[in-house]
Amino acid sequence: MAQSVKYLITMGELKRKDNSLIFRNEKGHRYLPIEGVKEIYCLNEVSLNTKLLDFLAKAQVTMHFFNYYHQYSGTFYPKEQLVSGRLLIQQARLFDEHRIIVAKAIVQGIANNIYSVLYHYYSHGAKELKPLIDWLRKNVPGLLSSSDLKINQVLFIEGTIWKRFYQSFKYFLPETFLMNKRVKRPPDNPMNAMISFGNSLLYAKTITQIYHTHLDQKISFLHDPGEGRFSLSLDLCEVFKPIIVYKTIFELVNHRKIQVGRHFDKELNYCLLNRAGKTAFIKAFDSRINETFQHATLKRKVSYQTAIKLDAYKLIKLCVEGQAFKPFDFREKC
Amino acid sequence: MTAKVTGTMVNYYIHCKRQCWLFSNKLNLEDNSEEVRIGRILHQLKEEKAKKKEVAIDNIKIDKLTPEYLVEIKKSDADLEAVKWQTLYYLYILREKGIDRKGKIEIIDKKKENRKIHYTELTDELVFQLKEIISLIQELIERPIPPLPINKSICKKCAYYTYCYI
Ligand code: SF4
Repeated sequence: MAQSVKYLITMGELKRKDNSLIFRNEKGHRYLPIEGVKEIYCLNEVSLNTKLLDFLAKAQVTMHFFNYYHQYSGTFYPKEQLVSGRLLIQQARLFDEHRIIVAKAIVQGIANNIYSVLYHYYSHGAKELKPLIDWLRKNVPGLLSSSDLKINQVLFIEGTIWKRFYQSFKYFLPETFLMNKRVKRPPDNPMNAMISFGNSLLYAKTITQIYHTHLDQKISFLHDPGEGRFSLSLDLCEVFKPIIVYKTIFELVNHRKIQVGRHFDKELNYCLLNRAGKTAFIKAFDSRINETFQHATLKRKVSYQTAIKLDAYKLIKLCVEGQAFKPFDFREKC
Repeated sequence: MTAKVTGTMVNYYIHCKRQCWLFSNKLNLEDNSEEVRIGRILHQLKEEKAKKKEVAIDNIKIDKLTPEYLVEIKKSDADLEAVKWQTLYYLYILREKGIDRKGKIEIIDKKKENRKIHYTELTDELVFQLKEIISLIQELIERPIPPLPINKSICKKCAYYTYCYI
């Protein structure tokens, strides 16, 4: 099957021509058949018209737009095809009655996957990580198990997990890539630039995956509903950040595929991946998210991208059939 | 209120009751499988040019109606029993409207290039069984929770496989 994602990195114009897409830029034009395409990422200035959007809507292609700072700015979200009134009501009811249960499951999922990522470095010699991986494995479940937690407390635990994770980078990354703190808009150093970019890509990816299910993107559990138009995507992408975004970054940095001197544009107040940096990042990100593994219970190969959709299915199953929700766990690959 | 039963629902009911429940409650994941999605897109795009030949009566869609036959076209004969009941259901609806036909099921297998044809006819006994199936379907889909997965080999090919076994 043709590649299902198109990343438009250069400036250009995207048009419909019969049943194909044409992308024109300064170098010429390129035909992209619509059959395999599921989503398009516009990472630069791209001109388009309504004829194109109508075509993308028919083909149920989602199109994501990113601003100058490589941050997500919006999605062309074609008319929803999969709508189930019953599920919508059940999803709203789940929020009302069991929001905390789902939120806790997500935070536990984040801790589990960070544990997996750090364990790799610990077992390759970064012994200083021991207290943190022990804390993730032994203490976090205890913190989350308390029965009268409020959502703010769950969010505080989540914040602590991420903070301790960032602070641990010094044990396995070269010094040039260490950041003092996480700065989002706009990112101010190379590490923040990659985290922002990676998180934005993963978020958009999750929007597309949920689009192909019946879930309503506005009803979320960890994040407040309405925090974004796609707040459920904010929720479901969290547990994949350690294994998709951060593993991509660590690989690029440790294998010197991205270097501070060669792959960034630095201004006074911000720092962004340059063209070569973006290309390298997307290549690594894309191959990681498309990598497949043998799924433990499905007994077939699935990609990490599909695993995001499977988490959405699990949430549907919780809504419809009351089956407990346990997000993707890298250790169990399910 | 009793839900309107469609031919697809009859087909799925015979195939798997869980599939019938999920589909009838609009959890139609079928749309979700990549092949089906692409197939439908191409179909839609072609349709923009050539108008459809399907005949629609009430909420049922019939592939072809000839003076003698109602023709149901399928891509595979994986579950012939289910297709047979689907076809019988259409014949029954038509008979209710005063249109009498026999059923013809054409299996067009793309790879093998051959057509298999199966015939079926509505009898009083079958009408009786069909009515029973229809009321069982209505009862099934009103249930608050779907039946459990059936753990059979047909699941591997079903569009709901990942949903059922995740
Ligand atoms: S996967 Fe199996 S149990 Fe699930 S709907 Fe399909 S046939 Fe039924």
